[in-house]
Amino acid sequence: MTDPMIRLDGATKTFPGTSTPAVDALSLEVPTGEIVVFVGPSGCGKTTTLKMINRIIEPTGGTITVDGVDVRDREPHLLRRDIGYVIQQIGLFPHRTIAQNVATVPRLLGWDEDRTRARVDELLVTMGLDEELGARYPAELSGGQRQRVGVARALAADPPVLLMDEPFGAVDPIVRGRLQVELLDLQARLRKTIVFVTHDIDEAIHLGDRIAILNVGGHLEQYAPPEDILREPATPFVEEFLGPERGLKRLALRTVADLGELGLGNCVQADASVEEAAQVAAEHQERWIGILDGDRLRGWAWVSDLDGARRAGDVETSLFRVALSAEDTLRAALDGLVRSRTGVAVVLGPDQRYDGMITLARLNQAMVS
Amino acid sequence: MVAPGGRLMDAIVETFRWLTDAASWTGPRGVLARSLEHLWISLVPLASAMAVAIPAGVLAGHHRRGQAVGAAISNLGRAVPSLALLVFGLLLSVRVLGLGFSFWPIVFTLFFLALQPLFTNSYTAVREADPALLEAARGQGLSERDVLLAVELPVASPVILTAVRITAVQVVATAPLGALAAGGGLGRFIIDGFGQKDDGQMLGGVVLVAVFALLVEFAITRLERRVVPGPLQGRTDAAAVVATGRAN
Amino acid sequence: MSPVLAQASGGIRWSWIGDNLDDIWEATVEHLWLTGIAMVVGFAIAMVLSVLAIRYRRLYGPITATTGVIFTIPSFALFFVLAPFTGLTVLTAEIGLVLYTLLVLVRNTVAGLDGVPEDVKEAARGMGYTRNRLFLEIELPLALPVIIAGLRIATVTTVGLVTITALITFGGLGRFILDGLQQNLFVPKLVVGAVGPTVLALVLDGALLLVQRALTPWSRRAAA
Repeated sequence: MTDPMIRLDGATKTFPGTSTPAVDALSLEVPTGEIVVFVGPSGCGKTTTLKMINRIIEPTGGTITVDGVDVRDREPHLLRRDIGYVIQQIGLFPHRTIAQNVATVPRLLGWDEDRTRARVDELLVTMGLDEELGARYPAELSGGQRQRVGVARALAADPPVLLMDEPFGAVDPIVRGRLQVELLDLQARLRKTIVFVTHDIDEAIHLGDRIAILNVGGHLEQYAPPEDILREPATPFVEEFLGPERGLKRLALRTVADLGELGLGNCVQADASVEEAAQVAAEHQERWIGILDGDRLRGWAWVSDLDGARRAGDVETSLFRVALSAEDTLRAALDGLVRSRTGVAVVLGPDQRYDGMITLARLNQAMVS
Repeated sequence: MVAPGGRLMDAIVETFRWLTDAASWTGPRGVLARSLEHLWISLVPLASAMAVAIPAGVLAGHHRRGQAVGAAISNLGRAVPSLALLVFGLLLSVRVLGLGFSFWPIVFTLFFLALQPLFTNSYTAVREADPALLEAARGQGLSERDVLLAVELPVASPVILTAVRITAVQVVATAPLGALAAGGGLGRFIIDGFGQKDDGQMLGGVVLVAVFALLVEFAITRLERRVVPGPLQGRTDAAAVVATGRAN
Repeated sequence: MSPVLAQASGGIRWSWIGDNLDDIWEATVEHLWLTGIAMVVGFAIAMVLSVLAIRYRRLYGPITATTGVIFTIPSFALFFVLAPFTGLTVLTAEIGLVLYTLLVLVRNTVAGLDGVPEDVKEAARGMGYTRNRLFLEIELPLALPVIIAGLRIATVTTVGLVTITALITFGGLGRFILDGLQQNLFVPKLVVGAVGPTVLALVLDGALLLVQRALTPWSRRAAA
């Protein structure tokens, strides 16, 4: 691994007039190009920690380095121009147009006009914002649009580090989900080092390459990739914080593709004999059988309905209502499985090609391995 | 402008001498008599203006009507100089109604002066009641009359009372203008002192008017604490003052 | 007002107004000058006081209390009080006028600066604004609507108070009021002295509103 972009070494903050530190000797490293999520209950010091990195809050002990340089060795306002910053309320400047808002840091850095304008245009496109929005004022935008502008503004001078303090906390759940996906897309292209604060464990699991779970006083309970945290919570606190549906949350982290080859499953070709069909169904301990036309799945029929027919394909079939693709999460697979009358979830590849079916046993096997 | 320090000292000494001279306080032209006059020429217009402007403002606010008229009254009311109001009061009293000088001109003047802040603030206070609160009240079956009396008025009461206090101070502090039109009250000391080049009397008058105004402010503040429902206290000053602000 | 005057007239010499347009114009110009000087000086002092009040919170109470007490002094009395020291000069007039603008201007400026949303300030700091730049480029523009609202109130008030400086030989249009009073309620002069400043105040108020709209296009579009 390359050198970590951000290193906290015993970082401590004691606010004036309080005896117990809000953050007490916290040490951790944020690897270059990863998203690290600080998560924890209120009062755990996650926001304080984040704000110590760009010195919005001054640390009272320990050292914090960004790209190898102690943050205290730099003028705060110069340090901050090299670090992107997004807060929950966004804090767009109401008296400046969207384009002017995005151009904030380039202007502070003294970029020339042409370069700034080109960068603003580029970012509006990157964030999926209509070019004509550039001339509007923040009050004329929707919550989701404003949030995108906030991110664009933070990215304007192409800083290697991005600090995000509950950036999606104030938008409705649907927009929030969309913004999360967009952030992951953006990160896949830009590879920034991102520190992201949230109190929502699901958001942390969804976004984080690593998650730091903090307890009151900035005490680090566990710092690991989400998969590891869900599989093996380090402390009872982490276990409780993850909530009752750890298994489901882990399923959400993995995709159908992670299961590998699924095999044919409980299916026969349409021209198979009735006896063969009955035997396959018996092997799978099912009372139904799937009927295939080559690499297409026609549907399914009750084994008892095959009596009197010659070929498996001679009877009427019912359709599988739920079909998954390789990118779907295993959580979606479980959902499809419990909603289906046959108790399986069908997986289709490109061009509706039949790729196999997922059973509860298969899911279970994947999770315990 | 010679030795301002010395003249300032002189002025203070003279003022102190005048204020502590028993002769200044007694008799039909003494401080006590003039104070009573001052109270009277302030109270009559203030009470009448309250009787007219507060119900009008509250009703207009309740029906959410007359926004344009309200704004016009508010702007015009502020734009007319108090000296111009005095002219109007004089003409009305002397030329139109034949009531003569001294008492009525300044009463009319102060009445017109008080209308605008009382109306504007009553109107705004009622109109800006939380819509959710009104919806909840109506949803529970309160009649329009009940909504006005049981919800809008209590919620608006702090702002209205603040407006009364500020208006009262304004009226009391403007009342001395009446002395220009041969009126009574504490303003007489200022005008007469100026006319007779008696700095002690003039400055004494200024001090008395300021003290009078501060006493009125103090008294009404005490009243507010008694009348306004506890949880609504102390949240309104800034809004009301900004809507009113006027020097006399 | 006109029916009242008509009734009272019994032959009011309205022609006086037409015959004296030069004098009226001169008085109007003087009125504007006195108002303008007071506003510029008052605004400058108020800005200093406001910035002080914001940086050092403890000063806010005393500043508004002092300016508030000034409000309880009748303006003509204040001019009289000053006259023995500074004479019947323009300085006397302006000291009084400026003092009366301060309360409204300081209160609105502080309220305007206080009203700048915390998240906007934090975002600005987080992006590397220095303190001075934050004040000039973010806080001041955002406080502008409230500051100008204060300027409008103060301007209207000042136009009215200028009439009272007639007592110390200035007064702009207000001089006609004193003259009219002394000439046994000479109505044309009284009307010019009373209506003139009112119109002037409304015009200046409207002009400042237009200035505010021009300077803060964002606040209007936001409200729309």
